[in-house]
Amino acid sequence: MADQATFENDVEEFVPQLYSAALRMTRNPADAEDVLQEALLKAYRGYHSFTAGTNLRAWLFRILTNTFINTYRRKNRRPDEVELGELEDLYLYRRLGGDGSTAAQRSAEDEALDLFVDTDIKEAVEALPDNFRIPVLLADVEGFSYKEIAEIMDVPIGTVMSRLHRGRKALERTLWRVAEERGIAETA
Amino acid sequence: MSRFCEQAHAELYSYIDGELTWYRKSRIKWHLRRCPPCAGGFSFEEHLKQRVHDDCLEDVPQELVDRLRTFLREQGPTGGASPKGA
Repeated sequence: MADQATFENDVEEFVPQLYSAALRMTRNPADAEDVLQEALLKAYRGYHSFTAGTNLRAWLFRILTNTFINTYRRKNRRPDEVELGELEDLYLYRRLGGDGSTAAQRSAEDEALDLFVDTDIKEAVEALPDNFRIPVLLADVEGFSYKEIAEIMDVPIGTVMSRLHRGRKALERTLWRVAEERGIAETA
Repeated sequence: MSRFCEQAHAELYSYIDGELTWYRKSRIKWHLRRCPPCAGGFSFEEHLKQRVHDDCLEDVPQELVDRLRTFLREQGPTGGASPKGA
């Protein structure tokens, strides 16, 4: 049982992470602020049901994720399930010419991603359908374990893994398109 | 690509996410030391994960933090029902 009086103090350190996630979920600052405010209000009202000493960060992200899915996404009517298709392993790496078989050719793997600026990566993440974007955000940006993500999204671990893996591959496909559009693919 | 490469690729994401048991992790490490193409691919995926992490973080505006604090203080203590999903 957590004390509502300490809520502000307890959650303060997580607000920047929650804001980043809300921004990547909603794709714009105004909606991110709405989702974050609503999630914090729900968390505040339900704080008595949180068991002190357990995973507060995961609890807050669960509320944020549910708030986004239940209110914001419903309002915006995005399709629930989107087929991403199957992609081979190491899709982007191979296309960027990084699969040389000698150690000398491998130095490229560090530099290959220098082709992309911050905005390219951000936009590629934001282009993912919700079901795939959320696990990618929770794993890559927030560093949650598969088990925590399963609890946050209320789906089995196998589903988390499948969506995370497919989401990452779709991200690589988007980045490859960016590289092609810029014509940097040929010189890579 | 050998059978060992295929086995490693099947666990690529679990490996970079630190989700494998010590034994399975060691088996992949063993393979990566012997297979430069796989080592390159794994390293690339780790870098990409790091880029997603670094590039998706955003500073929260201080005025928003202040607004949220004021908003929560206005709520006052409640003994309301659990939030959905809590």
